[in-house]
Amino acid sequence: MEPLPHRLRPSLDSEQRRVRELVLEMGEMVDVAIARATRGLVERDVEVASAVIAGDDAVNQRQSEVHEHCLSVILTQAPVARDLREILGFLHMSDELERMGDHCVNIARIARNLADLPPLGAPVDLPLLSRTCAKQVRDMLNALVARDVERAREIAARDDRVDRIYHRIVDDTLQVMVADSRNVYVGTQVILVSMNLERIADRVTNLAEDLVFLETGAVEELG
Amino acid sequence: MVPAVSGEPLPAPAVETHGLDAWYGEFQSLRNVNFSAARGRVTAIIGPSGCGKSTLLRALNRMNDLIPGYRTAGEVLLDGAAAPSDPAGVIALRRRMGMIFQRPNPFPMSVFDNVAFGLRLEGRRSKRDLEEPIERALTRAGLWDEVKDRLDSSGLGLSGGQQQRLCLARSLAVEPEVILMDEPTSALDPIATLKVEELMREFRDEVTIIIVTHNMQQAARVSDVTAFMLMGAGRAGELVETNSTIELFNRPKDRRTEDYITGRFG
Repeated sequence: MEPLPHRLRPSLDSEQRRVRELVLEMGEMVDVAIARATRGLVERDVEVASAVIAGDDAVNQRQSEVHEHCLSVILTQAPVARDLREILGFLHMSDELERMGDHCVNIARIARNLADLPPLGAPVDLPLLSRTCAKQVRDMLNALVARDVERAREIAARDDRVDRIYHRIVDDTLQVMVADSRNVYVGTQVILVSMNLERIADRVTNLAEDLVFLETGAVEELG
Repeated sequence: MVPAVSGEPLPAPAVETHGLDAWYGEFQSLRNVNFSAARGRVTAIIGPSGCGKSTLLRALNRMNDLIPGYRTAGEVLLDGAAAPSDPAGVIALRRRMGMIFQRPNPFPMSVFDNVAFGLRLEGRRSKRDLEEPIERALTRAGLWDEVKDRLDSSGLGLSGGQQQRLCLARSLAVEPEVILMDEPTSALDPIATLKVEELMREFRDEVTIIIVTHNMQQAARVSDVTAFMLMGAGRAGELVETNSTIELFNRPKDRRTEDYITGRFG
């Protein structure tokens, strides 16, 4: 068959580009926020923790911008096929990243609360959970930039490891709490931090599902 | 078989073509078109100008036969049987397949007589025989309430949207199995367009509709199945892809379909 005459859609292309940029910026912000929130917790650094809380406004602001751009594209450009999936996919990703930012804020708040209290009476590996979650987030962002569906599926499959670390921390912390009731308050906070990290990792799986949908049009359950 | 929107299989084809070729003189307009329209469903034909959409539509009820130098090869089947080509057969064929054109074309006569036209050709003459089917046809076309008090006024005095629905009523009066629509709303305003589109959805299960449209959003709104055509070698129209409308507009199988519907020709 003869090739179709050449035509482009510069308005749609530039709107999509902007949405992608905003979502990736949100991803980078969340990546930084996870590291900072954990550092604030582990190093009892109130300033770093406060920076995470203050920085969440910027994440929320970008989410609003993504929503506005997506609404505008749908209203004015009537996207279909890949173009529509791209918009819907990134729209949903912005919601996931915004919630991930909120989890970081939760952790930072707990870090501030715990700053003046003695540490938990026994070691639990929160930094390992944090590092593992942060790596999931970073790998997922790289897969998103590369539009690598296979990589996204692999990352989602690694969520099991996050769950195992999380459950071990909960078990260890409960034992410490049972052994000495003075550990109950701090232990509860540690469990809450772990839950927030685990939820961040769950949302990485959702991002992977969004990428699969965006690239293939298929709705896959990767969790 | 093309899956329906809900995932359930489509009804059997009411109309289909097998290896249909068409020529206007030396110019080949259609090449090897294997088209099918499920009974009681809306099938949209989309594609760029000159890709043979209207030729295909008009090949189905043999409207093109009137054009000097026009000829075809391949098969057109109605209800699984070869569509007739003899003069009497063609008249019967067109009775089974109504047609709506881009511009409303009511006859220069009263609303009543417009809708009565086909019925009178069938030999129904008395007013008593005509009144009931005419009211039914006008009601199905969503026009009865608007014209019931002026059935004797000229059809040409109606608004554009009303005229198109009058043409629809004229088609419906003889209870066709299929209605062919060639850009039926391109001359109508958005409200009149929506009324016609709504009627198309209401005819589901009763009438098979095949609509040629340039408006992809319209194809997405009204059709169960969409067929995408494109000019091939020598500018002959070819059928690139037929799929459920949701599937075609979400994840088209053919790259050329995707390029066309997303407006990225390359």
